[in-house]
Amino acid sequence: MIRLENVTRVYRRGGEKLTVLDGLSLDMEGGKFYALMGPSGSGKTTMLNLVGGLDRPDSGHVAVAGEDVGALEGAALSQWRADNVGFVFQGFNLIPVLTALENVMLPLSLTPLSRAERRKHAEFALELVGMSDRLSHRPQQLSGGQEQRVAIARAIATDPGIILADEPTGDLDRDSADQVLGLLERLNKEFQKTILMVTHDPAAAERAQRIVNLDKGRLADDPREGA
Amino acid sequence: MGPMSRLVGRQLTRHPIRSVLTVGSLTVAIFLLCLLRSLVTTLEAGVDAADSRRLWVMSSVSLFADLPLNYQRKIEQVEGVANTCKWQWFGGYYQDRSNWFAQFACDEKRLLEMWPELEIIEGNADDFLRNKTACVIGEGLARQFGWKVGDRVPLIGALFPRSDYSVWEFDIAAIYRPKKATLDEQTMFFHWDYFAETQRASEGRDPNVGVYALEMHDPAAASSIMATIDSMFENGPMRVRTTTEAEFTRQFVEMVGNVPRLVAWIGTGVLLAILLAVINTMLMAGREQIREIGILKALGFTDGTSARVLLGQSLFLCGIGGGLGIGVAKLTEGFIARSIARMFPGYHVVGSTVALAAVVTIILGVLAGLVPAWNASRLRPVEALRRS
Ligand SMILES: Nc1ncnc2c1ncn2[C@@H]1O[C@H](COP(=O)(O)OP(=O)(O)O)[C@@H](O)[C@H]1O
Ligand SMILES: [Mg+2]
Repeated sequence: MIRLENVTRVYRRGGEKLTVLDGLSLDMEGGKFYALMGPSGSGKTTMLNLVGGLDRPDSGHVAVAGEDVGALEGAALSQWRADNVGFVFQGFNLIPVLTALENVMLPLSLTPLSRAERRKHAEFALELVGMSDRLSHRPQQLSGGQEQRVAIARAIATDPGIILADEPTGDLDRDSADQVLGLLERLNKEFQKTILMVTHDPAAAERAQRIVNLDKGRLADDPREGA
Repeated sequence: MGPMSRLVGRQLTRHPIRSVLTVGSLTVAIFLLCLLRSLVTTLEAGVDAADSRRLWVMSSVSLFADLPLNYQRKIEQVEGVANTCKWQWFGGYYQDRSNWFAQFACDEKRLLEMWPELEIIEGNADDFLRNKTACVIGEGLARQFGWKVGDRVPLIGALFPRSDYSVWEFDIAAIYRPKKATLDEQTMFFHWDYFAETQRASEGRDPNVGVYALEMHDPAAASSIMATIDSMFENGPMRVRTTTEAEFTRQFVEMVGNVPRLVAWIGTGVLLAILLAVINTMLMAGREQIREIGILKALGFTDGTSARVLLGQSLFLCGIGGGLGIGVAKLTEGFIARSIARMFPGYHVVGSTVALAAVVTIILGVLAGLVPAWNASRLRPVEALRRS
């Protein structure tokens, strides 16, 4: 489903080169819940961005459901993102001037649905995350946990196959974090979403079916390490 | 309303004071643009409205030098001339020097024949022609001083005092409304004979003539008639210059200074200042919304849509400000026309000024939105989202 083939990502700052992903190869199955762990700076966010088509590898291939994401460009890449991935960020990243409902309806405007259908889908998504009683609240009027649930509703509103979550519980208290993790689990079990979640928290990682460990841009259990 | 236009509108409510101030300065600037251009179009309306069948004969020395009385008969004998009319600037005032307005002594009958655009709306032409002290006044003048038909108006003859230094008295026989911009609504016309007789009594001789107007049978003959008249008086006693009415009117416009050019400079300055102000606002907005543009792109919105969110805000701000400015210019039209009637008679915000202001508003919106929109379209979502 998600296949990384010898993926390299190098940042250049000034004259210095920083190899963030170093020939990373990895296969992930569709419909599974993955936790991506590793020390800070090990390239987790970079990998997530490559899978979500927000960034391009310097070499190697990123294929999602058979599509070579790194080869897509411009409007085609945007549309691919709209159809296939939902992002959930550590800092929630809701649009502050829009209400919860409007935030969730935003990605739906990229679909051919009618206005009434868009509203229905958005309300359903907010219902699913338990936020139906806060439709017209602005992000500032919500707690962190509530904001993250709205962000999850936004990520699933267009019914993408993959959810990419970058430390979604990093800014949350224990209870809110549990709710968010429970939601992700449910999305995986009931709706067969493929979930790739970055986390530092071993307890959070426990909720996933598979754990991938990254270190210095490679898999920590990469066979080459031992060689 | 689409989700993108909603987002555009909401972004502007984020800093309400900033938005209101920007809209306010746009309103002032576009209003000023309308006002300035209207002053120019008002001045030029007389030139544009000029009647091609009329020519004006004046001294070639200066606009203020008079012409002999006997020129009228000679001008009338020129082939192609249908009618002539004497005009003399009276230069009087009502009670106080500040109550100044234009008065002319004219051949009263010929005035009505040659100026069909002088439409009498109160009183009647016969009363004006019959009574020697009768005058016809513009409706603006009637409004300004509250004068009515039948009123007797005393004027102080500053340039032409009576022999006993008493006031000149005029009987208002009619009130006119100019149907064309060749006349303004603040002028008084009275009988030549009343003027001439009073002058003979005080000076012992006939007064001279300020300018002659003449009407041609056929406007196509204008250049030959002008040449004939100019050469006829080549050897004096006073050399003349004959011009078309358009040219004649333009001379008065130029006497006010090169107003159109000055106005164009001021207008351009105002627009540049407001452009910088709106650019500043939009650059600030663009910087504040980097993260949100990153989110939009992550959600699958294109570079073009991201650019339009910022361009839309710029156009929205300018649209409201420009619209209000045009609205204020239209709403204050009557009030301004009354306040500056003396210097700019017939002040009017014409359709082309409204159209120009609308186009300028859109151009301002596009220019101010261009850089932030370009930045938004180029923004890489990964970088935008890394900022916190
Ligand atoms: N745009 C960039 N330019 C330069 N260096 C970057 C850029 N983005 C990330 N990095 C660096 O790449 C490394 C890996 O970043 P990241 O993928 O965010 O790690 P993680 O999410 O595992 O903490 C870090 O050292 C980070 O500073
Ligand atoms: Mg990270």
